[in-house]
Amino acid sequence: MSWVTRHAPRADELSSCIQCGLCLPSCPTFRLTGLETASPRGRLTAMSAVAAGRPVDSRFEEIMGACLQCRACEVVCPSFVPFGRAMEGARAEIAAQTSGFTRRLRRLVTARLLRSRTAVRLGAVAASIAQSSRLDRLAPRRIRGSLAGMRSLKGRPPSIVGRTRAARGERRGVAALLAGCVMDAWFGDVHTATVELLAAAGWEVVSPRGQTCCGALAAHDGWADDTRKMASVNMAAFRGVDLVVVNSAGCGAHMKEYDHWADGGEELATRVADANDVVAEAIVDGRLPRLSASGDRVAVQDPCHLRHVQRITDQPREILAAAGLTVVEVDPNGGCCGAAGIYSLLEPDMSSRLGSSKAEQVQATGATLVASANPGCEIQLRSYLSELGHEARVAHPVELYWEALQRSERRGAVR
Amino acid sequence: MIPSLELEFRDRLGDEQVASDPLDLYVFGKDAGLVRGEPGLVVFPRDTADVATIMRLAGRHGVPVVPRGSGTGLAGGAVTTGPHVLLVTTRMNRIGGVDVENLCVWVQPGVINLDLSIHTTPFGLHYAPDPSSQSVCTIGGNVANNSGGPHCLAEGTTVNHVLAMEMVTPDGDIVTVGGPAPDPIGLDIRGLMVGSEGTLGIVTDVLVNLLPNPPASRTILLAFSEVQHAAATVSGIIANGLIPAALEMMDQPMTVAVERFANAGFPTEAAAVLIAEVTGHPSAVDAEAELVRRLATSHQATLIRIASDEAERKRIWLGRKSAFGAIAQMNPDYYLHDTVVPRTRLVEAIEQTYSISKRHDIPMLNVFHAGDGNLHPLMSFDGSLPGVMERVDAAGKDLIEMCVAIGGSLSGEHGIGMEKRDYMHLVFDEMDLDAQARIREALDPGGRLNPGKIVPQGSRCFDFGRPPPVGTWV
Repeated sequence: MSWVTRHAPRADELSSCIQCGLCLPSCPTFRLTGLETASPRGRLTAMSAVAAGRPVDSRFEEIMGACLQCRACEVVCPSFVPFGRAMEGARAEIAAQTSGFTRRLRRLVTARLLRSRTAVRLGAVAASIAQSSRLDRLAPRRIRGSLAGMRSLKGRPPSIVGRTRAARGERRGVAALLAGCVMDAWFGDVHTATVELLAAAGWEVVSPRGQTCCGALAAHDGWADDTRKMASVNMAAFRGVDLVVVNSAGCGAHMKEYDHWADGGEELATRVADANDVVAEAIVDGRLPRLSASGDRVAVQDPCHLRHVQRITDQPREILAAAGLTVVEVDPNGGCCGAAGIYSLLEPDMSSRLGSSKAEQVQATGATLVASANPGCEIQLRSYLSELGHEARVAHPVELYWEALQRSERRGAVR
Repeated sequence: MIPSLELEFRDRLGDEQVASDPLDLYVFGKDAGLVRGEPGLVVFPRDTADVATIMRLAGRHGVPVVPRGSGTGLAGGAVTTGPHVLLVTTRMNRIGGVDVENLCVWVQPGVINLDLSIHTTPFGLHYAPDPSSQSVCTIGGNVANNSGGPHCLAEGTTVNHVLAMEMVTPDGDIVTVGGPAPDPIGLDIRGLMVGSEGTLGIVTDVLVNLLPNPPASRTILLAFSEVQHAAATVSGIIANGLIPAALEMMDQPMTVAVERFANAGFPTEAAAVLIAEVTGHPSAVDAEAELVRRLATSHQATLIRIASDEAERKRIWLGRKSAFGAIAQMNPDYYLHDTVVPRTRLVEAIEQTYSISKRHDIPMLNVFHAGDGNLHPLMSFDGSLPGVMERVDAAGKDLIEMCVAIGGSLSGEHGIGMEKRDYMHLVFDEMDLDAQARIREALDPGGRLNPGKIVPQGSRCFDFGRPPPVGTWV
């Protein structure tokens, strides 16, 4: 028995890899282990072995499970192998062919709970209580790091779902902001900044009821049917708006690939834009101002799904420079920080090695301000920077620009 | 035999250093070439002591050992010919302290070629051999295959850049050959080791030469409407006494495939594209670039463009170095060939390549190190279709015979491995092959290192398959 679902890695996807091996050094897990089986080429070879009749067994599950799905391999591949799609297919097969308590728990979290706004809110409150009462110290090691990296919930703005914000100045159209699951519960400040900047750039901002979690985590963990449902729900919810703005890199990357999951998904995909892209464009067009230099340094971390999947690298730097900050680079190769969705929980050893080395790279820049455009990366960075004892604030580029803009407007008002 | 060996490996090296699951063996059963051969066990030594342990234990069980780096070889050099122990060097990736006075550094075999040059950049130094796979391939693999690369025209191949090496013998002894002096006394075992494809010993540390980065370089992109004009330009440049750092050619089908990936501005309508790079003192490179421009003009170049900045230069080289991967956009399988012809007969070789391609109905794209006549015809095909593999094999054989017939050789830089082992008789007579087999027998009498590679079976005038008893007359 090889493949059993229609999401399985397709023959044309697998045969597009000619095994040249140019992807190996870009792969964080190959770099750490030196193993062909922990490299993109090796993973594709293992998928081909199953396609040729080998079983989906526990070793196959391990080999696929070690992949961060960071997609760095796709950037360097001269054959354009759709590695991410094939890996999502392999994960879907594993999910379909294996069972057990952990599997069910994983599905409950990534494919069920994240769809429920109430469940995510409750989770947020519970985490917040654990954080402030220091009960998080009692949590299992693999969860403790994530708890330590979370933003404090105190004084967070309420959900943006159902709210609207009128455009300022010359009107550009209607932009819907994806509320998201954890973004809406924990990262309300990023939402506020995004909404205000979009409005200032001429967009009427909405966040329609009826939307749900983007489904990225479910897709990465192989819950294909749930992923399809979430894609369909969002396609209906975002019908009719000019732009769907996403301020979490992983969610945006996933929504730009809705064509993998639902008929007509490509139509929505073409309307999806990362918040960095929209804000940077407004700065370049002059609809948002360039602020005077403050002299403060900010270290930029590129989330993999922003850099490798959406191929967005200049825009966050543009935004931070326009905020008056001096941009310093963390890693010219844009290596993964090890957060990778629920990877940090499932593969804690690999994740912590990547997290520590990323934190050391940030520390080496000496910057005490770090910009990251993805919630998972932000949590990971905060957690490993605090472990290193490096005091630094981690925030979204759009958030940093919005704060600088408000400061500059207040100064203007005083003057 | 293998189960007990596996237990001993796990005991001595630790579970993390051994892989034996059937799926692991399948994944490690291939390099970047076409041949598949699954190992019996895979081991990941961390240092020289681990390698010595592996050789001793495997020797005790009579199981051969095959070394492997990143697995980018194209001749099957790192593919086992039986259920052997595959010794993977990727975890031996330490770079020693850079000796900036003597311009050298000790590196372990698993260090990636480009990582070494990146590491030495702050010292203004680089490691010269730069195979197209330099971002992936390991120094150990480079030593095994005496790898070249675009920049070997002026700077020489791996053998010119290895000063000394530490190696483990088939019996597990650790020896060091060569030394920091460029010309050590005695028999040059170091030279013998380079290019021996893991058949004489396992290299565990290499003292390599580093070169100062050139203060200036000019990368020139040339296009021609006829392949002949490009080849004439190559000969003209070298006849004028200029040895450029690199002189590379791509034909039109190759250029089209590469441009789709690299967007380097390669002219896709040209019959041939030349990349010439001159390096050296700022005042010299401009004069040399001017000479290249003049010669190209006299040979009717349709485009002459000097890279205006480092970004453009990098894009041109990215295009050239992703050539072999880029062709998967056409077909699922490829066979990157590697032969050499005298530079003066390039045009003839290219024309014959096209006719071989037509005769066997296998598309061939051409990319080559024109400066030293090293051809890389790239066959693109779907091996799952009936009869295709046979046509590919036949076309490969024709290519080799053609190159040898016009005065060339079997391989420029990919090595012999399994791929060309049985063609060795085209360039070596019985006595040559016997001599090579004797050398191998002297260093590896038990035939325990990478068996079935380079030297065809039956090369030894008296092939006993095992060492003859002491005192036997042979």
